[in-house]
Amino acid sequence: MKKKSIIYPIFFMAIITAFFTFILAFLDYSTAEKVANLQENELRQKIVYVFDLDIPLDDPEKVDRAFRENIEEETINGKTIFTLKENGKVKGYAFPVGGPGLWGSVEGFVGISADYTTLLGIDFTSHSETPGLGGRISEEEFKGQFRGLDLTEVKDKEYIIYKPATGGNVDAITGATLTSKSVSDFLNNDIAEFIREREGSK
Amino acid sequence: MAKNNVKKIFRMGLWEDNPVFGQILGICSALAVTNLMMNSLIMGLGLIFVTGLSSFTISLIRQYTPKHIRMMIQVLIISAYVIIVDIFLKAYLPEMSKALGPYVGLIITNCIIMGRAEAFAQKNPPLESLLDGVASGLGYTIVLLIIAFFRELLGFGTIFGIEVLGDWWTPWTIMIMPPAAFFILAIIIWITHNIKEKNEREVAK
Repeated sequence: MKKKSIIYPIFFMAIITAFFTFILAFLDYSTAEKVANLQENELRQKIVYVFDLDIPLDDPEKVDRAFRENIEEETINGKTIFTLKENGKVKGYAFPVGGPGLWGSVEGFVGISADYTTLLGIDFTSHSETPGLGGRISEEEFKGQFRGLDLTEVKDKEYIIYKPATGGNVDAITGATLTSKSVSDFLNNDIAEFIREREGSK
Repeated sequence: MAKNNVKKIFRMGLWEDNPVFGQILGICSALAVTNLMMNSLIMGLGLIFVTGLSSFTISLIRQYTPKHIRMMIQVLIISAYVIIVDIFLKAYLPEMSKALGPYVGLIITNCIIMGRAEAFAQKNPPLESLLDGVASGLGYTIVLLIIAFFRELLGFGTIFGIEVLGDWWTPWTIMIMPPAAFFILAIIIWITHNIKEKNEREVAK
């Protein structure tokens, strides 16, 4: 019988595979640009947010213009660092931060002033924390607290300290102690590292 | 196709053979994405699309498919449709794509789809198979929405992101966490089985 032969199943499988692969490749190809654009836009919005620029984030055109005119992107030691310039003067830097959260890794960006004294803002690009608990790190209520934090009067590179501990400057998230703790840990580490690298290279 | 047949397909998919509380299939995703109603709805729509169309396609080529490689073919077809859903979400609903995360890809392993392919599409004509897939997907979606309704309402005080319970409501954190899905799913299975049993007893009388 034809269907019992070896050739027929192989032939059949090959045809089916080729057919679906072609459809998927076509769909992927035709949406690739759109997806890449969306991802780039999202990242740009986060960088603009981190720099605390006075630009409506839901307006991709203005975000785009800010990027073309004021923000430069460069890769140093495998890290993408954004530099904010206004009228030719460097106003601040944004650099990637990240570390383990409670369930998976948390990644984001930190904006810092050009003289490394003030935290401009933070934002997270990816995390897998529990929605409504640790997931609230990406809510304005938490992120907003980091705006304008002073980085000069700190002991032992503890830039972020949760209240009510002495020197506390930020509120942790209720019910998400572990997420809050790991966020402050990697922020402290990465900020210290960034400043050290920068000042060392001067 | 007889009207009775259509009715029967939907009655089986939605109630008697409901994939979630009847056959206890697709539980993994039912537990994972049900903390918000919107997530559950999109997940359900994705599953309806994949189950319906994969059943349709599998049925369409069933007479030409060699029996011993049919499962390979089924998985291939299912994966193709799931990837289509994934690409669609990434390109047009990026927020949703992020919220559902790996669970979109995991639709491939959702036992409901393969179950329908083996149990129905392999032996029935394409149009019936399509309806059967849609009915099963719908059964799954409805259960997910019921679970999500209680989880979102009690856990966030909202429905589809719209606040319904005021500030006085203290959200039940446990509802957002995975354990709550187990409780609610178990309660739903308990209730539906009770009703089914009662119906059967009445028929027996």
